[in-house]
Amino acid sequence: MTQQILNAIFIGSIYALFAVGYTLVFGVLDVLNLAHSAVFMLGAVITYSLVALHGMPFLPAAVIAVLVCGLLGLLIEFVALRPLRRRNAPPISALISTIGLALIFVAIVEQANPGSFFSWLWQDGANSVRFPAGAVPNPTFHVLGLTIEGTKLLILITAVVLMLVLGYVIRFTQLGRALRAVAENRRAATLLGIQVDRIFASTLFLSSALGGLAGLLFGLAISDISPYIGRDQVELKGLAVIVLGGMGSIPGAVLGGYLLGLIEVLAFVRFGSNVEAGVAFAALFLVLVIRPQGLFGARLRERL
Amino acid sequence: MRTGARAIVVVLALALSACGASAPGASSSNSYQGKTIHLGAILSLTGAGGVYGPSSQKGMQLAVDKINGSGGVNGAQIALDVKDDNSDKAQSAQVAQTLIQQGQLLGLLGPTLSNSAVAVHPLAESFKIPILAVSTTGIHIVPDCNYPKTDPCKYVFRDSLGEESAIPANIKTYADTAHPKTGVLMVANDDKFSSDGGKIVQNTVSQNGIQLLDTVQFSKTTADFATPVTKAVQKKPDVIFITSLGGIPAKIMIEARKQGFTGQFLGGNGFNTAVVSKQAGADGKGAQSGSAWYINNTFASNSGFVQAYRAKNSGDPDQFAAQGYAAILILADAAKRANLTFSDIPGDRTKLRDAMESVNIDTPLGRFQFTSNHDVKQTIWIIQMDGNGGFTLVKSVTPS
Repeated sequence: MTQQILNAIFIGSIYALFAVGYTLVFGVLDVLNLAHSAVFMLGAVITYSLVALHGMPFLPAAVIAVLVCGLLGLLIEFVALRPLRRRNAPPISALISTIGLALIFVAIVEQANPGSFFSWLWQDGANSVRFPAGAVPNPTFHVLGLTIEGTKLLILITAVVLMLVLGYVIRFTQLGRALRAVAENRRAATLLGIQVDRIFASTLFLSSALGGLAGLLFGLAISDISPYIGRDQVELKGLAVIVLGGMGSIPGAVLGGYLLGLIEVLAFVRFGSNVEAGVAFAALFLVLVIRPQGLFGARLRERL
Repeated sequence: MRTGARAIVVVLALALSACGASAPGASSSNSYQGKTIHLGAILSLTGAGGVYGPSSQKGMQLAVDKINGSGGVNGAQIALDVKDDNSDKAQSAQVAQTLIQQGQLLGLLGPTLSNSAVAVHPLAESFKIPILAVSTTGIHIVPDCNYPKTDPCKYVFRDSLGEESAIPANIKTYADTAHPKTGVLMVANDDKFSSDGGKIVQNTVSQNGIQLLDTVQFSKTTADFATPVTKAVQKKPDVIFITSLGGIPAKIMIEARKQGFTGQFLGGNGFNTAVVSKQAGADGKGAQSGSAWYINNTFASNSGFVQAYRAKNSGDPDQFAAQGYAAILILADAAKRANLTFSDIPGDRTKLRDAMESVNIDTPLGRFQFTSNHDVKQTIWIIQMDGNGGFTLVKSVTPS
């Protein structure tokens, strides 16, 4: 059972890391960025590409992948979000256009085979791969009959540290104050001299870099890198997590991530896989009945 | 929808017969000259089955190129239209519908997954188009494609070795030498291929003296297999049976080794691709399964295929490529003998179907014939992953 709770903490960390980026964009822009799962996938794919196809050591590859994912965030802002915002399109339009971008990102990877245009990025088409053996050290500790993997420990530490850093940035820095001002009232923030467009771009960069990081850590810990890891395995769960935590709340996303991981694992152990998802979403439903705004969902203007 | 499609087929057939009427009295082989044999394939090039579909496609294309390059089928060229079903049952049926509505196809191949075959095969049967399954190994594929109705489907064939033959042969082979006492079954419960395999394992283990300690079911969309694997490993079994597809068997092996499992992995058709062997890497070494094909078989129809495949594609063929290649050879052989008119499409389809029943040719899988149930009857190759993305042969089993 203790092993299963450890399993829950690790998978919860991945849900949390993914959901933090998701909820950040929602908190500031009031838009659900459904391309986030594709960026998550690209974080893993780009790191894999640099390590396995271009012979780069893991650490610099990971840094480059995170930065590239941040830049993809800017692409999402400039291509899918800003043009619609300029036309005062409703948030649902932005949601649809991010779905479009996600489909394009996934298609680029799944169609990439040796000899194709994107073969420098990916050569395995729809297949699932793992990092080459020995590319990343993964010491496994056996303590008191429990198995603890280095990579999963790394995820846990990364998730906690990033949450603290993000909390600090939002609470105590100039950028954070601007973010909160924009989240509270876009027009007032503009009147105060805050360049709203720049804040939006920074938010997308930050959120996507986090998403990419979550993706590469997922690929590392789960030994599964494919065009579909974002869409199939974290997208809906990430959505559940941010609803559970309170839309736009960062601490809520973190807590929600761990909670969903725990509920899922306990449901699996106790009832088996037929009800695993059912129990998780029933718990979500219950939380929403009792607290419609989610666990940490404050009134709109306080949500960051 | 169906009546609409039928109407289109009839109109097209009439139009084609009007064209064909200008060459009366031509002998059967001459009437093939300059004609095209249209075939359609429904494959999972993307999605969960994307591990298998592209291999099938490469094998098929290789055979098509080979046949067309050496004079075609009595002079007729084969045109193969491959459509992706994204590993989705509904999309698979939709794609099949689209192909059928084109009206000129003589035969279909696929779909990749048993899960989709349930939707596609009855459709082909109702339109009286011969369909040859190239990778579906679940139960109730042939002849009872309309299961739970048991009347045999006349137009459905398969050249892929069923799990009902392969899994028991594999378990028996392992049990005869290693005498394991206990096992845990890990099975994806939201996929027909996987759950069929699970049922076959459950029905087979006790005959081989193995006690099944637990059946751990999971969803094929599970992100982290740590949880189900922990549940299995804690029972301390001698054997973990895995019936699942895509990258999942590899992920389970990796996770189980991390958690200290040192026993044997036994599985089904989901093990039999180099992609899965490569992903599992050293953690998959020794994982054993029954396969329809073995790469290092030296009989000419296999070595020629392997050589041609390597010359055209980067890397080695796998079982799915071999079955795809064999499928085109089977259809070409049947078409050659079917005395096709190229004017009466529905009639040609029935002729092709009739000719398929008497196919008897050499393929990379070995000498190929259909049983009276349209299933394949062939040698089973028991293979193990070699830890480097390949396989080694344990033994060959001739079914009784």
